Amino acid sequence: MSIHELMFYLFSGMILLFSVLTVTSRRILRAAVYLLFVLVSTAGIYFMLNYQFLAAVQLTLYAGGIVVLIIFSILLTSHISQKFEPLGVKKMVFSALAVAAGALLSIMTILDFGFDTVVTTSQNPDMELIGTSLLSYEKNGYVLPFEVISVLLLAAMVASIVIAKKEKSK
Amino acid sequence: MNLESFLLMRHEIMLTIALLIILIAELSTENKRSIINLSIILMLITTIVGFFPVPEGTLFGGMYQTSHMTVLMKNILNIGTLILFLQVAEWIKKPEYENKVSEFYLLILSTLIGMNFMISSGHFLMFYIGLELATIPIAALAAYDRAKNISAEAGIKLILSSALSSGIMLYGLSVLYGTIGSLYFPEMSIAFMNTPLHTLGFIFFFAGMGFKISLVPFHLWTADVYEGAPINVSSYLSVISKGAAVFILTIVLYTVFHSIAPMWKNLLYVMAILTMTIGNLFALRQKNLKRFLAFSSIAQAGFILLGIIDGSVMGMASVLYFVLIYIFTNLGAFGVVSAISVATGKENMDDYNGLYKTNPNLSLLMMLSLFSLAGIPPVAGFFGKFFLFASAANSGYYWLVFIAVINATISLYYYLLIVKAMFINNSENPIAYFKSGLTTRIGLLMCMVGIFAIGLYSPLYEFIRMFSIGM
Repeated sequence: MSIHELMFYLFSGMILLFSVLTVTSRRILRAAVYLLFVLVSTAGIYFMLNYQFLAAVQLTLYAGGIVVLIIFSILLTSHISQKFEPLGVKKMVFSALAVAAGALLSIMTILDFGFDTVVTTSQNPDMELIGTSLLSYEKNGYVLPFEVISVLLLAAMVASIVIAKKEKSK
Repeated sequence: MNLESFLLMRHEIMLTIALLIILIAELSTENKRSIINLSIILMLITTIVGFFPVPEGTLFGGMYQTSHMTVLMKNILNIGTLILFLQVAEWIKKPEYENKVSEFYLLILSTLIGMNFMISSGHFLMFYIGLELATIPIAALAAYDRAKNISAEAGIKLILSSALSSGIMLYGLSVLYGTIGSLYFPEMSIAFMNTPLHTLGFIFFFAGMGFKISLVPFHLWTADVYEGAPINVSSYLSVISKGAAVFILTIVLYTVFHSIAPMWKNLLYVMAILTMTIGNLFALRQKNLKRFLAFSSIAQAGFILLGIIDGSVMGMASVLYFVLIYIFTNLGAFGVVSAISVATGKENMDDYNGLYKTNPNLSLLMMLSLFSLAGIPPVAGFFGKFFLFASAANSGYYWLVFIAVINATISLYYYLLIVKAMFINNSENPIAYFKSGLTTRIGLLMCMVGIFAIGLYSPLYEFIRMFSIGM
């Protein structure tokens, strides 16, 4: 087993383990920290694929920005010591069954597909290519989604204002 | 690409300009209520501009595509939103919403922009961004009545279930992207093969869409969200949101996934039966009118599948025609419930006893809307259902049509229950007579005209059919 494979299994194992811990943990702050580990391990996989840009974005935005935001909002809104109620056995059994069935079906189908082993020259998109394709309006250019996402962000900000705005004092 | 080609995107550009104008107006005026009229005027202009003929074409290397059919779909959605704006005006003047009036319009317009981009997308990335833009703001709108627990709960439920469905859909799309290597619609439709993995990706995608259209078994969020959200937001969800999702689902099924048509036809067959039957059976036992209309809208979604399953030009035309009628009809029903709720705060079926004696005009419109939902001949709803059934029968789905007819009969029973309450039942203290504001009355009148005119003016169907596409 090469070091490359070893790293892959390490990162995937971490993603799996911490994802499960994120959703099963009964303390909300711990769940947020587990989520941080999931995001960092995902960045590791991106590094292995030579997608430095994506990995950097993953680290700075998700691991750096979003998790911090989540932790802030937890600290501002809920009691740290509060524990979620444990799930009933029945719920746990049925959700485990559903997850196992779904995962099994997906994995079997993916293994069944028979991907061709393609030897591609490692495409390492440099920053210039990413920049130009974000601003290109030709085929494989992404200026339109880029602009529409700005509308989405505006809408999301207005939406959060609607939820957070205080009622006028009477 | 030159400046003129932007004219192809005039729906989206007009809506974005309207959005920006309202944003600036919000900053520069103290009188927030003037924004209500401003929004109605802007929406009216946008709707009218949308009708000017403009050639078909694609922009941004195929990421955005427009045809006469998508223009027609966008116009239908614009008309619906205009009526909604008219009906909303009185409700939003309530003192408790005073400091968040313009936010309501901003959010509705941004969702409409999202739906327009979604309908015009030629690339699954655009499709997905449009879908999110059409969903996330509505969750905030569902929680608009934040002081009420039930409304906040509706917002949470909507955002969680739509996040889950988006996740499932994205997983399906990523499977397809991983095996095909492109997200452009034309390239995907060529490379799409009838292998188990592609089918799995498609089913995940379809499950995500099922959430948005609230098909059984993905309907569980519907009743709670419709009940908790403000009535006008529920009506927007049930009419415009659902209409847009139906449009794009039809386009994608017909253009991208046409090579596995036999498979998705079987899927739609089962889901149509389930959706119609379960929607109807649950509607039977509702006492709250918002929950009742929620289940009725689930059942109507089941009927729409009958048109999609056909896969021909006629099927597409009947879906478009039905959604057009459905917009007028459901906005009529929700509009009456909203007007009564604004004036008296009553939302239960028992409160409607003896409504005809005190408020004959509202009762009449409610009756027409319910008749149209049930599909009774003189009103438009009958023709809508008729063409849906005809297109399904055309491709030989006789059993499906038979079950749909049985369901339409069951639905007649519960729609008539409300008519009976309004016209026949007596009440000790019926809802007192009240007069709605001018905008509400115009909005309701437009619904009434639509319910009659679309049914009687037959060239309309031919007109829609001219622009429709088949597989």
